Formats: sequence, C-alpha cells, structure tokens
Amino acid sequence: MRILRGDVITGAVITIVGLVYYIATFSIRETSDIVTPRTFPAIVGVALIVLGLFLAGQALYKGRKAAEAGDRDGAAASAGDASDDSSSAGTAAGVVLDAPEDPPSKKVVIQFALFFVYLAILIPVGFLLSTAAFLMALTSIYAPAKWIRNLTFSVLFAVIIYVAFVYGLAVYLPVGILG
Amino acid sequence: MNTLVDLGGGFVSALEPASLAFALLGVLLGTVVGVLPGIGPISAIAILIPVSFGMEPVHGLILLCGIYYGSMYGGSITATLIKTPGEVASAVTAIEGYEMARRGRGKAALATAAIGSFLAGTLAIVGLTFLSPVLVKLANVFGATEYFLLMATALLLASTMSAGSRAKALISIFIGLAVGLVGLDFQTGLPRQTFGIDLLSDGIDFTIFAMALFAIPEAIRNLALGRGAKEEIQSFGDDKWMTKQDWQRSAMPWARGSVLGFIIGILPGVGPSLASFMSYIMEKRVSKRKEEFGHGAIEGVAGPEAANNAGVGGAMIPLFSLGIPGSATTALLLFVFTMYGLQPGPLIFRDETGLIWTIIASMYIGNVALIILNLPLVGVFVKLLKLPKEILFSAILVLVVIGAYAIQFSLFGLMLLGIFGIIGYLMEKGGIPLAPSILALVLVPLLEDNFRRMLQISGGSFMPLITRPVSLSIIILMVLGIVGPIIFRWWVRRRALLADVSVA
Repeated sequence: MRILRGDVITGAVITIVGLVYYIATFSIRETSDIVTPRTFPAIVGVALIVLGLFLAGQALYKGRKAAEAGDRDGAAASAGDASDDSSSAGTAAGVVLDAPEDPPSKKVVIQFALFFVYLAILIPVGFLLSTAAFLMALTSIYAPAKWIRNLTFSVLFAVIIYVAFVYGLAVYLPVGILG
Repeated sequence: MNTLVDLGGGFVSALEPASLAFALLGVLLGTVVGVLPGIGPISAIAILIPVSFGMEPVHGLILLCGIYYGSMYGGSITATLIKTPGEVASAVTAIEGYEMARRGRGKAALATAAIGSFLAGTLAIVGLTFLSPVLVKLANVFGATEYFLLMATALLLASTMSAGSRAKALISIFIGLAVGLVGLDFQTGLPRQTFGIDLLSDGIDFTIFAMALFAIPEAIRNLALGRGAKEEIQSFGDDKWMTKQDWQRSAMPWARGSVLGFIIGILPGVGPSLASFMSYIMEKRVSKRKEEFGHGAIEGVAGPEAANNAGVGGAMIPLFSLGIPGSATTALLLFVFTMYGLQPGPLIFRDETGLIWTIIASMYIGNVALIILNLPLVGVFVKLLKLPKEILFSAILVLVVIGAYAIQFSLFGLMLLGIFGIIGYLMEKGGIPLAPSILALVLVPLLEDNFRRMLQISGGSFMPLITRPVSLSIIILMVLGIVGPIIFRWWVRRRALLADVSVA
C-alpha cells in the first residue's frame, strides 16, 4: 500500500506544479500569431495538472479496490496486487529488477545540505579549499576511522583536478581567497 | 558506391594519430565509466562535455561517441560481477550474467557479452553507413509538418514504450517540456515562465539539467546509504572461457539481438534499454531451456547485450540523418553537435561530409578497439569495482560541479544544478523516470518551432498533417506503432489467461 500512497502524493505534487506553471503563463504577453508564445507553456501546464490528477486518482482507485478485496480475502488481494504491479511495470514476461534501496531521509537531507554549502562557497572561497573541505566532510561522515586516507584523497584529488583543468584544459576554476 | 568512397575518406582521417587516440581514449574512458556502479553514459557524457569544449569538433565527437558505446560495454561487466548495472540497458544482464558468475561461469558471461556487443555493434554501424544516406535523401522532402510529427512521435514512443507506468513517463516528458520552455521565446523574444527572475531568461542549460538529474540523485543516494550496503564481487579468475557449447548457444541470440536492437534503436524516442529488455523476453520465449532462465542462461546475456549495442548504432541513424535524437543519450550528443555549431541532419552530410564520415569510421575502429582492449583488460576494470563508494561518489559530485561551473561561470548556474538535483531526487523517489524529460528538453525548441511554422504555412489549418503524403505515412506508422503493441499485449494477456484456466 506504501507505493499507492506515494503515487497519491506524487500526483498531488505534480498537479500543484502544473497549476503554478499554468498560472505563470498568464504573465506571458499575448501576440496576434496563430500559435502565441503562450500556447505551448499553457498546454504543458494543463497536461501536468491532468496527469497529476490521473495518477492520484488511479492510486486511490486501486487502493480502494485492494482494500475491498482485502476485506474479503487478504491473500487473494495481495496476489492480485502483485500481478497488477508487474503487468503495469512491463515485466509481465518475467523480468524482475531489484528496486534500489531507499536511504533514510535524514541522511539525504544532510548530504544535500553539504552539497549546497559547497556550491555556495565554491566561488568566494575558491576551488582548492572548498573542494578539499567538501570531500573531507563527505568521506568522514562515511568512514570517520580512515581519516588519513580521507585527508590524502581530499587534498590530492582537489589539487590534481585543479591542475588538470586549469593547465591542461584551460577551464579556469575559481581561485577565491588563495588568489 | 558514393557511400563507400565517403566511408573510405572517413577511414583515412579517422586513422590519423590524433583521431585514433581520441577513439581509443573514448572507448577506454567509456568502459571505465560504465564499470563504475551507478554512473551511466548520460552522466559520463554530461560530465565530459566541458572537457570537450576546447577540442576540435571532430575529436570531441569521436571521444563522446566512444564513451557512449564503451560505457554500454562496461555496464555489462558491473552487471555480471556485482549485479549493479551502471545503466538501465544492462539491467537484464544483471539477472543471468550474475547467476553465471556465481556458478563459476563469469568469464564465459563476459566473453559472450563482449563478442555479442562487438558483432552487433559492428553490424549496426554497417546499417548506419548504408541507411543514413538513404534517409538523408528522404529527409529532403521533409517539411515543418514532418519534423513536427517525427518529434511528437519520439516523445509519444518514449512514454508508451518505456518500462513502468505510462502516466509517470508522460509526466517526465512534460516536466522536460516545462523546463525547456523557460526563457525568451525565440520567435518574439518575449520572456516566458521566468517567474520574474531575469537570470532565467537565457533558459535552463541542458547540460546542467542532465547532470543534475542523472549524476546527483545517484551520488547522494549512495552516499546517504552509508556502509553496510556492501556488494559481493564475484571472482572469475579460474573460470573457463566460452566452450563450444557456449558458442553454439550464443550464436542465435546474438543474431536475433542484433536485428531486434537495430530496429528498436532506429525508432525515434526508443533507446537501447528497451531493446535489451525485449531481447531478454524473446530469448526466454524461444528457448528450449526455459528452466535455466534466472539461473544463469547464457542466451539471456548474449541476446540483450547484442541488442543494446545494436541499439546504440541504430539510435545514431535518426540523429545523424534527421537531427532527431532517439534517446536521452543521443539527445546529449545532439546537444554536443550544436555546441560545436553543427546541425545534424541532411545538411551535415552535404556540408560536413568529411566530419560525419570520420565519426562513422571511428565507430568501426572503436568497436574493434573495445574487443581487443577489453577481454584482456577485464581484470584491471574489475579493480575499479573495489573503489570505496564514498571516494567514488564524492568525486563525482565535484566533477559535476566543475562541469556546471565551466558552463556558466556563475553562482546562479551552480544553484540551478543543486535545485535540479533535488528535483531529480524527488522524481526518482516518486517513481518518475528521468530519461524522458532529458529527451523532451532537447526536443521542445524544435518541436515548437516546427509546429508554429507548420501552422503559419497552412494558415492555422491542421490539414497538412494528413494531406501531405509523407506526413500521412508517418501518422499511419505512428498509429500502428502505438496501437500495435497495445493489441499485442492484450492478445498475450488473453492467451495467458486462457492457458491458466485450462491448467486449473
């Protein structure tokens, strides 16, 4: 049932995104052409709304059907559900792939937060220092005991990449406070 | 005859030391990237686009094409030895290949994948060589109507023929379209969907979007998983290479996979991933040893691997001759072409004959290089699998950031990268496939432009869609292509149902 609830949320989010996108098209100036600059964005907005509603509705409908069947016979319902899922995934002929593991949300948020800090300091602080710090932080969260290896990797990787890009490929990376 | 002369000319320049070096470097880098778990051709090409800025167009394109098919091959090594496919196309190889490796047949699995990839890849390039000039001739009668239709077909096929929920694939396409429409309207110069942010009027850079969607969610997910999720690497040192029986069992799957993969590859909007899935299903259907499937059937490696490499060659055909990408990866390649100021399609075969044939010739060379390099070097590539995850994925994040910085040299570009990384992560979490939105983002300017021109020429009428013979034929094919599979599926399901009833 978890997947179905997920689809309801996904559908709702998509609908809201579509709505915001559609409202934003009102500020596009109209022209007298047959296809105005607004036509395509408006179509996209409406399509997102419709698809979002469809996804949520489909999940609710399936959920209710499964619940009704569950009242009658739990085992049968789960079997029916499974076959339903596999056919919709195009795996009816027996190709079953392992779903990737889902990491804990808290850790994902931390990783993203670190990533954004790196993005924000890259230009003012400079590539070398910020990259070494970012790599050190990430690897230390993962394997704190191996700090010597982490430090060596962080510093070496930052320096090698910097030299390779700036001197080898003429892609100038920010120097920041070292400059 | 002309084709052979052109191809010969292509070989002459592709065999120049510099071109040769880039072809070899491309397949080598591609294999390395393909081997690394969790990074597929899309991230690899996107990360390397900034690197290719300063290169000669022909070298940059040879390199990136090499990376594309090299990574397809590398993915099969990862799939076989740790069951973590680097990209979707190798996902089915992970089923049979891994089982073979567990049973001490890892070398045979790798060999059948490599030889199948080589044969199918080469056949597909032969197809590319001789079919492209034909399509180019056909494309000369194409107008805005036909181009609009072809691109709409590509998007429709990308949603109907992908694995998983169709509604979600469609959502992915419309997200790509929504992102692609941000910025100044190219006909009137009016700002659209910029939400009052001036910096958005240049639009959202395609490379940033592709890297954000493909590399960041995967890296963050792996880093957040932490230790514990340690994969078991299958060893294969003492295994035997393919036996005579293996050759016999692989031959037909290679042949079937090549043909199937090539045909699917040519279809707009359908990439090699579907080819490998369909090949697997087909091999399982026709096999006399159905019970071996799931327990290391060599046919289940040979067929899909041949199919996905044939699919790569096939997918290049609409890209080169019509300028219409058939998959997310070829969409990236199209972007690289335009970055160099080149427009794939009929014009490139007329104006840049030397360049396009050099690239095609380099693909023959790259394929040969792959098989020569890879079978002996497989032991070296396997060492890459032992690279600690935190090192690998934190390094990828840094490379992605450099890529985004090299495109815009601005904090705004970096922030877009981060924001789309979050969006990509949420899309994956919601089960929305990422590849269709990349394709949609590349196609939307062309789609809209041709749509407008079609209606301007006809004065607002949709009639040209059915009155022009070429466009009518495309519509008929499109309807057959979309309705056909639905009827086929229904038919299969009905028969399967009846079979169940009779068993009961």
